[in-house]
Amino acid sequence: MNAADWVVLLGTIVGIAAYGAWRTRHVRSLNTYLRGNTSTGWGTIGLSVMATQASAITFLSIPGQGYDSGIGFVQNYFGLPLALIIVCAVFLPMYRRLDVYTAYEFLGQRFDDKTRLLGAGLFLLQRGLAAGVTIYAPAIIISTVLGWPLDLVIVFSGFLVIVYTVTGGSEAVALTHKWQMAVISTGMVTALIVLLLRLPDGLGFTGAAHVAGALGKLRAVDFSLDPSRRYTVWTGVFGGLFLSLAYFGTDQSQVQRYIGGAALREGRLGLMFNAVVKIPMQFIILLLGALLFVFYQFAPHPVFFNQAEWRRHAQDSRFRAIEAEHAAAAAQSQSAIRTWLQARESNDAAREASARAAMVAASDRTDAIRAEAKAALVAADPRAKTKDSDYVFITFILTQMPHGSVGLLVAVMFAAALSSKASELAALGTTTTIDFWRHLRPLAAADESRNVRVARRFTALWGVVAVAFALFAGFAENLIEAINILGSIFYGVLLGLFLVAFFLRRVGGNAVFFAAVTAQVLVIVMYFTLNIGYLWYNLIGCTACILFSVALQMFLPPRTAADEGRTG
Amino acid sequence: MTPATRPDEGPEAEPPDVPGFRTWRGVYLFVFGWFVLVVILLCVFTATFS
Repeated sequence: MNAADWVVLLGTIVGIAAYGAWRTRHVRSLNTYLRGNTSTGWGTIGLSVMATQASAITFLSIPGQGYDSGIGFVQNYFGLPLALIIVCAVFLPMYRRLDVYTAYEFLGQRFDDKTRLLGAGLFLLQRGLAAGVTIYAPAIIISTVLGWPLDLVIVFSGFLVIVYTVTGGSEAVALTHKWQMAVISTGMVTALIVLLLRLPDGLGFTGAAHVAGALGKLRAVDFSLDPSRRYTVWTGVFGGLFLSLAYFGTDQSQVQRYIGGAALREGRLGLMFNAVVKIPMQFIILLLGALLFVFYQFAPHPVFFNQAEWRRHAQDSRFRAIEAEHAAAAAQSQSAIRTWLQARESNDAAREASARAAMVAASDRTDAIRAEAKAALVAADPRAKTKDSDYVFITFILTQMPHGSVGLLVAVMFAAALSSKASELAALGTTTTIDFWRHLRPLAAADESRNVRVARRFTALWGVVAVAFALFAGFAENLIEAINILGSIFYGVLLGLFLVAFFLRRVGGNAVFFAAVTAQVLVIVMYFTLNIGYLWYNLIGCTACILFSVALQMFLPPRTAADEGRTG
Repeated sequence: MTPATRPDEGPEAEPPDVPGFRTWRGVYLFVFGWFVLVVILLCVFTATFS
């Protein structure tokens, strides 16, 4: 990175954070602090919802996913538009009508206080644990590649997000999200244009797409019913619907983004904007990864993209042999691709089929050498990090992008990290203030300025906890996964609570509370005794919570008229 | 006797104020139709390049 890159990076990232803090420095109203400006339009809400979901890992990992496994991952988003329609039609109107600050207040009004505290507690446990990862995961990649001290990256990004989130609360979060999304969009479009310009002469987008397609990178949809396939239309529609409903409908970091605004219409249109844009956006990011794969078929590239990790372990002649073998295989692969492209133009089907088979075999050979390199790393150090796909896009940025745009693309990663972190901190601070502090000290509710002060302190406290966790936890790849597993263990029961609240009107507070506790215990016991994919715990927890609620309600007194009136 | 108001009756009755749409149901149908169209286009893309 040169001076121009630094100017662009610091100018955008610090500039947006300072602008957000300065513009919202006079926020004194609790409503504005927790729900944002009352005149917020649907465009701002839509971008804020999008920025909350798009973390730095989205822009680092998803192109790597396209490079490694192709664009089939796009199917994971197929349930999202359907979930957002349900949130718009059922969840959002209820939140607005009850005038709640948090989703868990709704549980209190629909059921009782203990169920509200249970829902809020599950959210705080899950998000609080993940808080450090949101800062740590992108920081480790950025610091590794750029050679910056990890602690400095964590403290810098943590400090920036704490300053503007604590200052302006939800209003600052929404305001900065707009500009961060502008930086992200500009950066990603610039990267795509540079990538297309860097493709070999005469290849162009169509030629590159044909190469990527022939090498199995452009299978966007798969209708297979084979359960061993990770990404299919069916897992995307059903699993994606379920996960998106839990995330957008019950996670305060998202709920807080759309319950504010001038009217119900603004929140609804903001969500519908995401329902329309999300799949095409993810498709383009994955396609960028698949095109990166084609680019690196014609350009020199390392056998392992995490070069810092490679250099740390690859010391002896065995690794030099792997590097030489990879370079030879890459040259063969490039030659085979050129032969196939010529054969395609010859209109000779037999020649084209033969050249295609040779090209696929050469590509498979390169993949095998990459797998061999990873195995050698593990043999040298069993704790070595072998997942290098997260480093593909950042390697392209640093080695191929012109100066100025390198700073912009690094700013994209920071903007994405800050935007998701800000929503998370605001949600953690709001839930702690409203569902715990204010609930336990009802007399303090009348003092608005005190409420704002307390919300600021809790937001700052969660920010400090997240930074400390990222600094001292010493995350390993398996610890990050462990936190994702914990999320899946709690998410299902939380969604179950809300689905019972919305759709099973006869079920009362006692039934749903004890059902949720029992379902949570069941999920935890199953986790320690069974060996199944952890995403299944979302479904198991939710289903168990609903079924236990219905069963328990049969043995408990029916809801009274007063209970029925709780939610109107 | 006045029938109980359904919780979503009010919001559904509110017009979306989007050109070409008179009800929210129309907006949801449009979004669903867009989703189906995107899936079809992805199928065409897969068939073209794989």
